[in-house]
Amino acid sequence: MSTQKTLLERRYATLGMALIAPTVLIFCAVIVYPLFSAIYLSFYSVFTPTLEGEWVGLSNYSELLQTGRFWNALGNTLIWTIGSLFLQIILGIGIALVLHQNIWFRSLARSLILFPYFISTVVAVLVWKWLFNDLYGILNHLLMKVGIIEFPMDFLGTMPNAMISVILVGAWKYFPFVVIAVLARLQSIPESLYEAAKIDGAGPVARFFDVTLPQLRDVLVVIIMLRAIWDFKEFDMIYLLTGGGPLDDTQTLPLLVYQEAFALNDMGMASAYAVVMMLIMLVFMLVYIRRTKDDGGV
Amino acid sequence: MTTHSITATRISRRTALMGLTASTAMAAMPMRARAQSAATIRWWSPQGAPAQVAAYEFQIAKFQELHPEITVVFETTSDEGYAPQLAAAFSSGEVPDVVTHLPSFAVQSYYANGLVEPFDDVINAIGVEDFYPGANDVFRTADGNYCGTGIGNSAANMMWLRTDLMERAGIEKSPVTWDEMRTALAAMQTGGIYGAPLPYGSNSMTSLIFIGFIHQAGGQVFTPDLQVALDNEGTRNALEFYRELREYCPPGATNYSWGESLTGFVSGATATGIYTGRVLANVRDQNPSIADSITCVTYPRISEDVAPWTFNDFPSVFIPAQSQNKDAAKMFAAFLFDPEGYIQQLHAAPGHVLPVLESINSNPMYQDNDIIQKYSQEVDLMASAAAGGFNLGYESTEHQSNDKAGEIIGSNIIADLVQKVVLNGDNVDEALSTASAAIENIVRG
Repeated sequence: MSTQKTLLERRYATLGMALIAPTVLIFCAVIVYPLFSAIYLSFYSVFTPTLEGEWVGLSNYSELLQTGRFWNALGNTLIWTIGSLFLQIILGIGIALVLHQNIWFRSLARSLILFPYFISTVVAVLVWKWLFNDLYGILNHLLMKVGIIEFPMDFLGTMPNAMISVILVGAWKYFPFVVIAVLARLQSIPESLYEAAKIDGAGPVARFFDVTLPQLRDVLVVIIMLRAIWDFKEFDMIYLLTGGGPLDDTQTLPLLVYQEAFALNDMGMASAYAVVMMLIMLVFMLVYIRRTKDDGGV
Repeated sequence: MTTHSITATRISRRTALMGLTASTAMAAMPMRARAQSAATIRWWSPQGAPAQVAAYEFQIAKFQELHPEITVVFETTSDEGYAPQLAAAFSSGEVPDVVTHLPSFAVQSYYANGLVEPFDDVINAIGVEDFYPGANDVFRTADGNYCGTGIGNSAANMMWLRTDLMERAGIEKSPVTWDEMRTALAAMQTGGIYGAPLPYGSNSMTSLIFIGFIHQAGGQVFTPDLQVALDNEGTRNALEFYRELREYCPPGATNYSWGESLTGFVSGATATGIYTGRVLANVRDQNPSIADSITCVTYPRISEDVAPWTFNDFPSVFIPAQSQNKDAAKMFAAFLFDPEGYIQQLHAAPGHVLPVLESINSNPMYQDNDIIQKYSQEVDLMASAAAGGFNLGYESTEHQSNDKAGEIIGSNIIADLVQKVVLNGDNVDEALSTASAAIENIVRG
């Protein structure tokens, strides 16, 4: 009996391994291989089109840490990530609370609010560039019509306008993700908690801070974690909006990786930047894991 | 330090993943085999305006009629995106077979790294004697071969003018010098119309256009034997003048590239423009009300003692060395110059891409175009200016070919120099020193 059980267990184990093997192989092909490739390439000086180069050891890393470009790009990346994330969370929670109410056309509003998130980045950027346009853009037109400004404003070509514009577009594009997640959580908060709070004399503001927000805490940690990682590595939207300019004032780390790899044809240095980016994100991840562990998991 | 082939290492690593990819490869094999026997040619170009693509499709259809065993597939890249796309293609070995309309310096750079097939036999097939004298000099390589040829010429920094606004402002003649230009812009900038749509953005257009200003001030970026010479009197004068011109440009010019600059003039928002002959077709199609009031001249320079310097990126045609269909690609590359199709391609953007063959320019079919006839003076001027044009890869007839030009443009060093001095008001000495050092760094590799 025990031999049969062992055989059955072995068969189950084999079946389990066979079932999981394709996933593991795909994981290795699309995650592990590129990761180790990037680390490997970062020790070389590599001409991108031919992928030929020479061993340079840690000199790519020492060079990037010594040049101001890395620190400037890191600073820009943090400003963009924090600024955009902050607005996404505020907007996302606010809109989710509105959509949780029993308002007219709630279903239609819930569908429309997702529109920015689903629209292609290229299309979104084209629309925003048109809105920001100094000669024909409706934003300048309205601001001048109302009398707030006398001459058109340069939204994307001067600082701090460029960074603010990028952050605003980023927040507009990605806040629906927060809305979806928060709205789902709001719908599962027991109504009895609000009733008890009401009986205790809590007003709407107190109910939000004492009931809603604590209930949202876990989902917000996940949202902040995911969006921080995604925003940190955002490339296409910033590249298309400003190209990293003016000067390199909106040049984030992903744009720097792209420039090293394809404008300067130095895949080794680009890989070094990418590896450092990964290490920074790893810090986010470790903080997150530690936090969730302390809390007994999400 | 020894040089290693990272490619070879990649292949061996891929081999380690053979178990994963074997089934996919097996499934793909019959398709690849069919593709090879059918000799499918992939043609890449960043020039993808609908009228141009229609002309390409016409050329492809004609070629396939003559060679039914060959299929040609056209794929669009972009001016800003071709470098990463080609880098990925070269490093993966999945290259297009024919590439057109890339600047000459990009082709020189690829050839210097063994990525491009010598093009001499295609030039011979087209007819060496039919090219304008010196038209292929920019494609001559260090080993004496040609890395490609021009599929056209472009005069990318022509100054476009609104004659009606000039008349209204009392400007009697087109500006030739910077002083005259400054006076003209100041006079025409009125009533919501700006003087010029010059680029001040972090992009290649700013670099390419400003290099023109350096030469129009009598300066240069490199010496003829390719020593970095950016810090010179010409560059300093060009920076000063470019800074002065900022007040005549729209506020958003700090983020302008080719599209915004073109639209600025065509829409009537600026009194002058800086672009190729594409202005002509766009004005006809998008703003015909100014069609009778536009003309062009070569861009003004610091004084009449300095010769005009026209930026010609020498739109090229070349064949990647890794192409699996070189013979078919060479046949097709030569066929692109067949008069019927070539003229249709040129007519798709009249004045924008100018012919490189003398027989085409004099061909009645080429002249039989409403834009070329209406603006014959402007088209002739652009043709002659482009024929004597230069770019960073070929700064003058005395300069050696510079295969680092593409990386210098891609690095935005020149655009950053402009932004630092003009927008930030940084110290010119420091900005020039930083830019020179950065260019030196790229040259040294």
